[in-house]
Amino acid sequence: MSKSIARAAIISLLLGVVFLPIYWMAAASFKSNKEITQEATLYPHSPSFDNYIRLMSQKQFDEFLLNSIVVTSASVALALAAGTLAAYAIARFRLPFRLERAVGLSLLTLRIVPAVVILIPVYLLMLELKLLDTWLGLIITYTALNLTFCVWMMESFFREIPVDLEEAAMVDGDSRFTAFRRITLPLSAPGLVATAIFAVIVTFNEFMFALVLTATPRAMTMPRGTATLIGRIDTDWASMSAAGVLGALPIVIFALLVQRHLVRGMTLGALK
Amino acid sequence: MRTTEQSVSRQRVQKAGLDLALPYLLLSPSLLITFVVLVYPLWDGIRASTKFYRYGKPLRDVGLENYVRLWFDDQFRNSLWVTLRFVTLAVAIETVLGLALALFCQREFRGIRFLRTVLIVPMVITPVVVAIVFRLIYASDAGMFTVLSESFGGDPVQILGHPTRAFLALVALDVWEWTPLMFLILLAGLQSLPVEPFEAARVDGAGPWRVLVDHTLPMLGPVLAIAIILRTIDAFGTFDQVFVLTRGGPGEATRLLSIFGYETAFKFQQTGYAAALFITMGLLILALALVAVRLLRRAEQQ
Repeated sequence: MSKSIARAAIISLLLGVVFLPIYWMAAASFKSNKEITQEATLYPHSPSFDNYIRLMSQKQFDEFLLNSIVVTSASVALALAAGTLAAYAIARFRLPFRLERAVGLSLLTLRIVPAVVILIPVYLLMLELKLLDTWLGLIITYTALNLTFCVWMMESFFREIPVDLEEAAMVDGDSRFTAFRRITLPLSAPGLVATAIFAVIVTFNEFMFALVLTATPRAMTMPRGTATLIGRIDTDWASMSAAGVLGALPIVIFALLVQRHLVRGMTLGALK
Repeated sequence: MRTTEQSVSRQRVQKAGLDLALPYLLLSPSLLITFVVLVYPLWDGIRASTKFYRYGKPLRDVGLENYVRLWFDDQFRNSLWVTLRFVTLAVAIETVLGLALALFCQREFRGIRFLRTVLIVPMVITPVVVAIVFRLIYASDAGMFTVLSESFGGDPVQILGHPTRAFLALVALDVWEWTPLMFLILLAGLQSLPVEPFEAARVDGAGPWRVLVDHTLPMLGPVLAIAIILRTIDAFGTFDQVFVLTRGGPGEATRLLSIFGYETAFKFQQTGYAAALFITMGLLILALALVAVRLLRRAEQQ
C-alpha cells in the first residue's frame, strides 16, 4: 500500500516537473505584456487570443510554419528514398574490394562527425551556388544531414529480414529489384516509419543551419523565425510565448500520435 | 520455338546485367548527395582552416597557424572549459536521475504507458522553444522565481544576469530536456535483461542494494555506457538552447564552443579561425567517441 502511494507521489512530481514550465509559457501566451511583467498572475485573468492574432498578422509566423513544413517533408522524403536504396545495397550485396562495406563505414564515420564541423563550408557552398535564403538550399542540406542516419537505420532493419524470402521470389522469376520492392520493402515498413518519424522531428526542430542559411521570412523555418522574434522585440514576452506554443504544438501532437513508433525508433537507435 | 528460347535467354542475360549494375545504381544517389553536401564541405572546411580571413575574404595561407593560435587564445580555452563543465555536470545528473527513474519503473504497473507518453514531450519540443520556456521561468520581471519571491514579499530574482546561476540554469534546462531520453534507453535496457539471476539472488537473500550493485549494474553496463556516450557527444554540440537563453552570457559564463565558433565566423567574420575551431571541436568529439567505444569493448571482453 505504502509502495503504491510512493509511486503515485513520484509520478505526480514528474508530471509537475514536466508540465509546470510548459504551463507557465502557455499561460503567458494568453496574457498581455502588462499582466506578465507587472501583475505576475498565476493564470491569465482576462485570457485573449490577441498574441496569436498579432503573431500571424504582423510577424509572418504562418510563413515560418509553411517553410518548415515544405522543407521538412521534402528533405525527409528525399533522404529516406535515397537512403533506403543505399541501405539495401549495403545490407545485401558483396561488391568487389568490399566496396559496400567501405561505403557503409564512411557513412557511419560521417554520422559521428558533429554537424558543426561543416557549418561554415556548407554556408560557403550555398553562398557560391546562390542558394542562401531559399527552400532548395535548406532542403539539400537537410537531405544530406538525414541521409547518413537513414542509411544506418534502414541497413539494420534490412539485415533482420531473411534473404531466403527474396531468393524464393527470384526463383519464381522476379528480378532482384522487383523482389526488393515486392517482398523486402513492405516487410521493413515499421523500420521506414520509425526512421521517417525520427528524421521529421530532428529536421523540423533544426536551428543552427537554418540560422546561418536563411535571412528573411521567405525561407526562415519555424525555429529560426521564432529566434528572430526574440532578438527584435527584446522582452515582448507575450508574443514570444505565443510563438513558443504554436511552434511546439505541431511536433508534440505529431510525436504523441506516433508515440509507439517513436519510442521504438529511439531506443532501437540507441541500443543497436 | 527456337526464337522464343533465344529471346528468353537474351532476356536472362539482360536481367543478369541489370542485377550486376543494381548495387551501384542503388548506391549512386546517396553517394552523390553525400559527396556534394558532406565530403566536399568537409574538405573545403579543412582548406579554409589553413587560411587567414579578413571580413570574410581569404587573404593568405597560414598553414596550421590557426590551430596553434587556438591554444593560446584565452577565449577559446574559456569556452572549452565551460563546455567541459557543462557536459560533465549535465550528463552526470541525467544519468543518475534517468537510472533511478528506470529502476523505479522497471516492473510494469498501471500508468507506466501514460508516464512514458508524458516524458516524450520535453525531448521532442523544438530546442528553441524549450529555451523560451526557460527564459520565461528565469526572467527577472516575468519569471516563476520572481513571482514566488515577490509573493513572499521578496525582491525580483536575478538568474540569467548572474554568471554562476546562469550556468546552472543552462544545466537545469538540459536536464529537463534530456533526462527522459536517458530514462527510456535505460528502461529498455533493464527490460531486456534476463530474470533468472535476479530471482536467484533474491532466493539467496540479497537485499535490493546488493542486487543492484552485484547484478543489475554490471549487466546493464554496456547499455549504460552507450547512453552516456551518445548523450555526451550530443551535449558537446549544444547550440540552440544557449543561443536563445543567454547567447553565451553574462560575460563568457555560458559561452560554449559552438557559440564561440558561431560568433567568430558570422559576427567577427574570421572564417578561417572559426573553421579551425570547429574542426578541432569535431576531432575532440571523435576522439572522445573512439576512446569510449574502445573502453566499452574492453569491458565487454572481460
